[in-house]
Amino acid sequence: MAAPSGRAAVLLRVGRVPGLSPVPRRYLYKKKWATTAPRIPAPRLALHHFDTTYSLQLQELWPAVRSAMLCEQKYGALLNNFACADLTAQRLELLSATDFVSEAARRARCWQESAGVGGERRKTSLEGSGGDGTTLPTETSPLLRASLSSNVKCYTFPRGDISRFHPARPDSLGILSYYLMDAASLLPVLALNVQPDDFVLDLCAAPGGKMLALLQTGACGHLAANDVSISRTKRLYHILNSYVPKEVRETVSVTSHDGRDWGELQGGTFHKVLVDVPCTTDRHSVMEEENNIFHKMRTKERQMLPMLQLQLLMAGILAAKPEGEVVYSTCSLSQLQNEHVVERAIDIAETQFGITVHIEDLSHFRTLFQDTFCFFSGCRLGELVLPHLTANFGPMYFCKLRRA
Amino acid sequence: MAGRLLGLLRARAPRAVLPAPGPASRHRCGTAGPEEGEAAELLAMGFSQAQARRLRLLRPGLEPQRRAEAAAQLLLLGLSAEAALGLLERSPGLLRMETARLKERAEYLRRLGLEGERGGPLPRGVHAAPAEDGGGGAAAAGAVSVHGRAADRAAAELPRGAAGGAGPRAAPLPGAGRRAGRSGGVAGAARPALSSARLHAQYAYFRMGVRQKEMVKARLFRTPFAELRNRHVFLERRGLYRTPHKGQSQSGNPALRDVLRPTEGDFVAGVARASPDEYEVFKRLLAREEEEMEEEEEEDEEEEEEEEGSAALHAEGGDRDWHSSEPSPIAPCPPAPQ
Repeated sequence: MAAPSGRAAVLLRVGRVPGLSPVPRRYLYKKKWATTAPRIPAPRLALHHFDTTYSLQLQELWPAVRSAMLCEQKYGALLNNFACADLTAQRLELLSATDFVSEAARRARCWQESAGVGGERRKTSLEGSGGDGTTLPTETSPLLRASLSSNVKCYTFPRGDISRFHPARPDSLGILSYYLMDAASLLPVLALNVQPDDFVLDLCAAPGGKMLALLQTGACGHLAANDVSISRTKRLYHILNSYVPKEVRETVSVTSHDGRDWGELQGGTFHKVLVDVPCTTDRHSVMEEENNIFHKMRTKERQMLPMLQLQLLMAGILAAKPEGEVVYSTCSLSQLQNEHVVERAIDIAETQFGITVHIEDLSHFRTLFQDTFCFFSGCRLGELVLPHLTANFGPMYFCKLRRA
Repeated sequence: MAGRLLGLLRARAPRAVLPAPGPASRHRCGTAGPEEGEAAELLAMGFSQAQARRLRLLRPGLEPQRRAEAAAQLLLLGLSAEAALGLLERSPGLLRMETARLKERAEYLRRLGLEGERGGPLPRGVHAAPAEDGGGGAAAAGAVSVHGRAADRAAAELPRGAAGGAGPRAAPLPGAGRRAGRSGGVAGAARPALSSARLHAQYAYFRMGVRQKEMVKARLFRTPFAELRNRHVFLERRGLYRTPHKGQSQSGNPALRDVLRPTEGDFVAGVARASPDEYEVFKRLLAREEEEMEEEEEEDEEEEEEEEGSAALHAEGGDRDWHSSEPSPIAPCPPAPQ
């Protein structure tokens, strides 16, 4: 092309005066994206994905779970024992919310009493024949051990009630009175059953709900809260600052290591390990576009999730002492991220590290909390809470392992 | 039928639509004298002898061509012969209107879902028509949904009007809805019924992908809108109803009539295969969702107005955060030392 000359050159020069042209030429570019290609939002993609996999897994239960996940979820208010808990409890009870943990404990006690009475009766009636009255008490005794030792209180509205909790307000000392979280997230903590002066590790602690629940048991001798992401550990600090007094805060060490390396760093030191791994966060994935793991750009990350989960669980098992307990939990319904990971981890622990790992039976959770949560009965290992419109908590999978 | 009529109306040859064109053709008109020609034409349009006579008695001085044109326009709007006649008798001003103008208005009415709001002679005539039972009432019912089948028929016109016009994507109807919403004042008791019918039709057509034939069969317009929405969204969230793609003729969706006709108990157990508790909770949740959506929209509008009014700093209220993601209303404070 010939160089612009005469009038054209003048015009060009005039065009280059800053401020006159709307966009400088060097910023003009041709978009490379195929703008005509349909852009499918990530939640829709997630839903499609779940439709194909979960309808096979859950069969006729899937529509109910699906509708529940697409509706507003319910929250539980985890009572902060470090603030004036009694007053808050009274206020929450006035709203007709109930503490499902103590409810379950009360029910367990009732059952045991009646079972004891029943057993005695049976014993007296079957004295001659040597009846089998001992089976019931042995069934209920773990219920008691699991629930009665817990100081954790979590208030929820009864089934079918869709009221919400107000955001917590700080008390006179500036400590917030309760923490709103998915009530099902409390179950892994209850399953961990922390005993006094236990060393506890929360391998993937952020955003901090379960960590706070662990502290509420009042039994942690030392709590190590770890999360890979530094920005997410900031959130842990926030929670510690706004819910926990200083003397308790000192028993917590917040770190930001890669959880997969934990076994090498501090192997065999903890009594209890909670491995709440990153997962497809089913409820979040079908509802929110933001930070959605089903985004096209995160496909690889999503496909590698079971691998990451397995590595984390292995690190958790290695971090536990002999006879130590590990609880693995996800908030996904996917078998690939739940049972399969646990099975594989047991397998690897046995073959590569020579560690025998047993699965602890948690089926008593099903009977204890059946009024609050809707459990899936077809789980091979561990327990799975299914979202249901009348009890819209979860999804939450948890499985307890004991290192031999 | 209505679509064919519309197409022909647009082709500016209304009389060609009408059956038995033989006696009404122009050649005959010219040869057999104006009066007889006009009568034949009216007869061909579907008016009876008596009706044609009554029609001819209206403004006797008027040129017969114009009378026939006006009658044809009304018939094309979907009115029966008796209804059109009744309407003309009540507002003879229509006869005096220019044909092109009349046609334009008819077109506009149709685009708005058979409703005018500018208050021109035709709409006013229609609105002023008392909604009686029987033949006279049908005049109003043809354009304004009042009673059962007539209402269904009238409102069933809407989506096809949209489809026949600029295509469904252009969606002239929602625009019309907005205009109607703004115009505030309600002229005549029939207006709310019509706007709700339009909402029904739009929802069923665009959101559920239902053809108007099915709408009529399902008695869509007799179901309250909230009921329709509850049932549809419930099925959709359960994964039992999917909005078909454009041009998709077959889908696994239950028929609209199976969704709307059964009682609530039968619907929940049979179609949705859920428990009554679930549906009960769902209805409450959906109502709350919608309520909050409206509130949010209002807030947004207010915010926009505020932003327009002044460039004041605008802090986003964090009240809604607690139930959206992780619900911890924590005051920002510096991280504690480890």
